[in-house]
Amino acid sequence: MADLISLRGIKRHYDVGGEVVRALDGVDLIINHNEYISIMGPSGSGKSTMMNMIGCLDSPTEGVYEFEGELVHEMDDNQLASIRNRKIGFVFQTFNLLPKATALRNVEVPLIYANISKSERVKKAEKALLAVGLSDRMHHKPNELSGGQRQRVAIARALVNDPSILLADEPTGNLDSKSGVEIMKILDSLHDDGNTIILVTHEEYIAEHADRTINLFDGKIKEDRQTKKRKRVVA
Amino acid sequence: MISLFWENLRISLGSIFGNKSRSILTALGIVIGVLSVTLMGTLISGLDRTFEKSMSFLSRDVLIISRMDWFGGDMDWWELRNRPRIKEDYVEQLREKSQFVAAVAPMAERGGSIIRGDKRIDTRFFGTTPEYMATNESADVKTGRYFTDGENRSGVRVMVIGGDVADALFPDEDPIDEYVKIGSHKFRVVGVLKKQGKFMGMFSLDNQAVLPFGTFQRLFSRRGWMNVRVKVNTDNYDEAKEEIYGVMRQIRGLKPMEKDDFAINQSATMEAQYKAIKLAIGGTGLFITALSLIVGGIGIMNIMFVSVKERTKEIGVRKALGATQSMILGQFLMEAVLICLIAGLVGMGLAGGLSLLINQFFPSSMPVGLAIGSIIISVVIGIVSGLVPSYQAARLDPIDALRYE
Ligand SMILES: Nc1ncnc2c1ncn2[C@@H]1O[C@H](COP(=O)(O)OP(=O)(O)O)[C@@H](O)[C@H]1O
Ligand SMILES: [Mg+2]
Repeated sequence: MADLISLRGIKRHYDVGGEVVRALDGVDLIINHNEYISIMGPSGSGKSTMMNMIGCLDSPTEGVYEFEGELVHEMDDNQLASIRNRKIGFVFQTFNLLPKATALRNVEVPLIYANISKSERVKKAEKALLAVGLSDRMHHKPNELSGGQRQRVAIARALVNDPSILLADEPTGNLDSKSGVEIMKILDSLHDDGNTIILVTHEEYIAEHADRTINLFDGKIKEDRQTKKRKRVVA
Repeated sequence: MISLFWENLRISLGSIFGNKSRSILTALGIVIGVLSVTLMGTLISGLDRTFEKSMSFLSRDVLIISRMDWFGGDMDWWELRNRPRIKEDYVEQLREKSQFVAAVAPMAERGGSIIRGDKRIDTRFFGTTPEYMATNESADVKTGRYFTDGENRSGVRVMVIGGDVADALFPDEDPIDEYVKIGSHKFRVVGVLKKQGKFMGMFSLDNQAVLPFGTFQRLFSRRGWMNVRVKVNTDNYDEAKEEIYGVMRQIRGLKPMEKDDFAINQSATMEAQYKAIKLAIGGTGLFITALSLIVGGIGIMNIMFVSVKERTKEIGVRKALGATQSMILGQFLMEAVLICLIAGLVGMGLAGGLSLLINQFFPSSMPVGLAIGSIIISVVIGIVSGLVPSYQAARLDPIDALRYE
């Protein structure tokens, strides 16, 4: 199978008051289907910048980005929006749910931008919420949900449009360890179902869930290793 | 894109009703703007219709030969004062000498009180010939009859009264063949005229009374106001007027270099004057009220900037989930248009209610075109004032927006 993602010589430089900040400074990376990758590194090393780059929220200053054979670095705003909508699922550290909308409506949002009819939207959103174990919380608003539940809504929202890749930037960073473990269980089982997942984390024990760990330092890949296969608990 | 439309509608309603007091204050500017514009328009159109209605007594084919111009002009007062009076025999001279006369009648006017028992009405009355009816299409006898040539010649004391005069003097009886008095003179009422409606109380037969010319001349001063009313037999009013000017100059014996010492008035003169007044009042009024709409629009723009700022993070999230620039633009534009539309409808409703109230004193009712127009204006204001903030929202960088706290 062809590569899912290919980054070649990707640079992302910011000009801050005349000084150049090299958030990404020449990254080469290939990601295949159904990989489970964790990205680690000290604060400011470029982890989020790399996630945004992969998630087509940001465009490289230099370099080549191929996503399923399409050249992302040449795309205009509308094409980027479309690829984010169809191919990418985002999970943020701070959940980023719409506060006034119920869980169900939050999960529906990507489908609205995909121009999917109301009845189909509801069906898909319900299915996604069922997958993260929130069938009984569909009509709750974010402030009526715990942190772990909110993050599960966010995961359902990321998954609802069947993306090619799930990107999670410190998904457990705002959660207590018990909720964090729950979230990781969900990500593990999503990976088992064939999803491709990249997650950013500071915690070694979270990173261990992944099959491959990439270490960033000063915008460069310092280490990229295949970690031992996770022990799967068979019920 | 239908689902996106409903979603945007839902978001906008949520935003508008989620910030009730803010939305109300913002919308107030537009409400007031639309209210004043529609009210202004309603009043002007009311003015228009009354004017047209009351002008019907003076159709375009009627010329009125008088001593003075209705609307002054720049004539010297002394010169005007010394102009000779209009005389009775002009009627027959005009009929003979002009080829454009269809009907012609003298009108000798004065004011006074008409009395019936303990009731009286202060009004105007005029003496004319039966031919008057042929010069005035809008004059029509409702009950009874008009006076005859015979009555006119012999000077009998009969009278045809206007609708308002009849109402005032005969609130609950039939005026026909009853008697009324002007001063010490007793008249028999032979007819009542159909009501015409009036333009600010002016120029209407409703509150006048008509006497035979001969009777009027015999009983009242021969020195009162006198006009000659000519109905022309052509569509070419200018040509007719030109010719009748010539005939009048000939009657008056004016030499070529001498100025006219009479005036020919017509509805066009009145219309021109009315239009000038209307333009002045309406133009100024609409300008001022339009200013209030602009102020309202600025308020909307301001609140939309606030709304975009407040929801920067939401915009970032939506973009991350696949919203394009135009989808975000649509969302905020919808919000601006919706506020304006709601405000416009409220303003229009208030204007409609107020115009019903005003209608008690002055004829006014909101024309449909104006109602539709004010809704369109509201939408346009929403679009115009929402465009820049919405564009700003649409152009936000997704990462910057996501980071915004
Ligand atoms: N919009 C920006 N403008 C300027 N500098 C930025 C911007 N975004 C990120 N950076 C800089 O790029 C570097 C990498 O940031 P980031 O990818 O957020 O790091 P991490 O997620 O690993 O903590 C940091 O030095 C950060 O200050
Ligand atoms: Mg980060």
